[in-house]
Amino acid sequence: MSAADLTEIAFLSLRVSFASTALILVPGVALGWLFARARFRGRSILRAVVLLPMVLPPVAIGLVLLVTFSHGSFVGDLVERVFGASLLLTFWAAVVAAAVMSFPLLVVGAQQGFEAVPRRLEHVAATLGARPARIFARVTLPLAARGILYGVVFAFVRGLGEFGATALVAGHVPGKTETLSMAIYARIESFDDAGALALSAVALVLAFSATALAEAFLRRRPER
Amino acid sequence: MSVANSFALRARYRGFELDATGEWDVPCAALFGASGSGKSTVLEALAGLRPEVNGPVVLAGERLDGTPAARRGVGWVPQDAALFPHMTVRENIEFAARVDAPTSASFVDALEIGTLLDRGVRDLSGGERQRVAIARALAARPRVLLLDEPLASIDRPLRSRVLPFLERVPQAARVPVFLVTHDPLEVLALAQHVLVIEAGRVVASGAPRSVFASAAAFGGVAALGAENRFGVRVVERSDSTLRVETSGGCELSMVHVPGFPNPDTVAVRAEDILLAAGDPGRVSAQNVFEATVAGVEAIGEQVLVDLDGRGERWRVKVTPRACASLGIEPGATLVLLIKAHAIVAAPE
Repeated sequence: MSAADLTEIAFLSLRVSFASTALILVPGVALGWLFARARFRGRSILRAVVLLPMVLPPVAIGLVLLVTFSHGSFVGDLVERVFGASLLLTFWAAVVAAAVMSFPLLVVGAQQGFEAVPRRLEHVAATLGARPARIFARVTLPLAARGILYGVVFAFVRGLGEFGATALVAGHVPGKTETLSMAIYARIESFDDAGALALSAVALVLAFSATALAEAFLRRRPER
Repeated sequence: MSVANSFALRARYRGFELDATGEWDVPCAALFGASGSGKSTVLEALAGLRPEVNGPVVLAGERLDGTPAARRGVGWVPQDAALFPHMTVRENIEFAARVDAPTSASFVDALEIGTLLDRGVRDLSGGERQRVAIARALAARPRVLLLDEPLASIDRPLRSRVLPFLERVPQAARVPVFLVTHDPLEVLALAQHVLVIEAGRVVASGAPRSVFASAAAFGGVAALGAENRFGVRVVERSDSTLRVETSGGCELSMVHVPGFPNPDTVAVRAEDILLAAGDPGRVSAQNVFEATVAGVEAIGEQVLVDLDGRGERWRVKVTPRACASLGIEPGATLVLLIKAHAIVAAPE
């Protein structure tokens, strides 16, 4: 396997992971806040549903996605009408699979971040005349940032390693959906052990770099 | 006659009933009571932070109940100061500043925190934190400043340093102050009017000296605000000691001041009782007996421990560290130590 192939596969994986993390960032943080701060009917059920991808086999999630986005299903037909093509076996199928699988990690990180923010700080901010949006932006969010960042990093790394759900909805299309995990599996199947090992080393370096970067960022930004 | 400040607050939750009314029209008033009497709840309700507490609130002539906390214009300084930990002192003060720079600078000067402005808040001392929190509250130009136990988190020797700043606030910032405290000396030093709260009700109010006068006649100012209070009868008296028995059958030794009548109620402050795990050996305390922990409750940075011993329920205040090192938890057996001097005759 050439260095160019290796680079292409690594970049595709990074693009999938960046896109999937970006896709779930806002809803993940919002749900994390909701679970940390709000008490409402059906909260435990909603939380169980959100956390399902963490406990279900990824292939099962992939099957659900496959059925959801297949031709003839409501969502599948809607996507085809709006975008003019099916989602399945495309780059975006890999993004959606990674997003669904990593979503719970982001939500849990964000929830723990928000739970660590003392309510009395928000109360004090309110008595100082700050409106809810300002309190959230200046007090709650910065103090929850540590937890949110951990959630983001874990979600990103989970996206990099995603295999089961991706295999079902995105398949193995070189240049389009051939992420690191898919490429490693394909190399093993074709008895190319050296290629599989090289790709695994790249995956290791990427995952390690992401967590190390996050650690370094958190160390440089100590809470005063 | 209309008064500038009044409240009539009601709430019922978790076995506690609040039914407190009060009014005052002075630059500095105090709400005085023991831990657990409901005084912090009243303060938070005045600030608009207790939606479960109902009833009219008038502060600085404005009717405020129904107005959300962010639009009440009421400065609230909680016991732990609650500074924003991710901001510097300056950023804390500027967070919601509505006063111009010279006015803000005048608060900083009056509170002597000018040298702290660019520091983070984590390494400030208790007194510094309180002063920064007060400056931050004043910078939001409140109609009234609410202070929750402003000196409680400060070591006793330092209190005399912070007290002058508190005395200065109403005049320097032209903002009336309403403070919560369990220390009668703070009331006498700062307030022109006091409301005494007990078990969720305001039981006395007026000028501090006259409110405290009856208690002072018995030498028992310290009994006001005490968490432990028992009806007693005297069983033995000598020149220096009085032995009394509580209605629950607990015998206690207290100091006898010749010439004063026999007490029918005695009080002990929760922080004046020591706890020991196991036999404390030979000690000077006159009252030493075993008790079983019935409940543990964290209030601010203190822990209140309820214990059953010798037929009475005792409330003891300890630090979280002491609580952890003694292994205080419901069901644990500990030894209570109370000095004869800590038991005082209380007004009925």
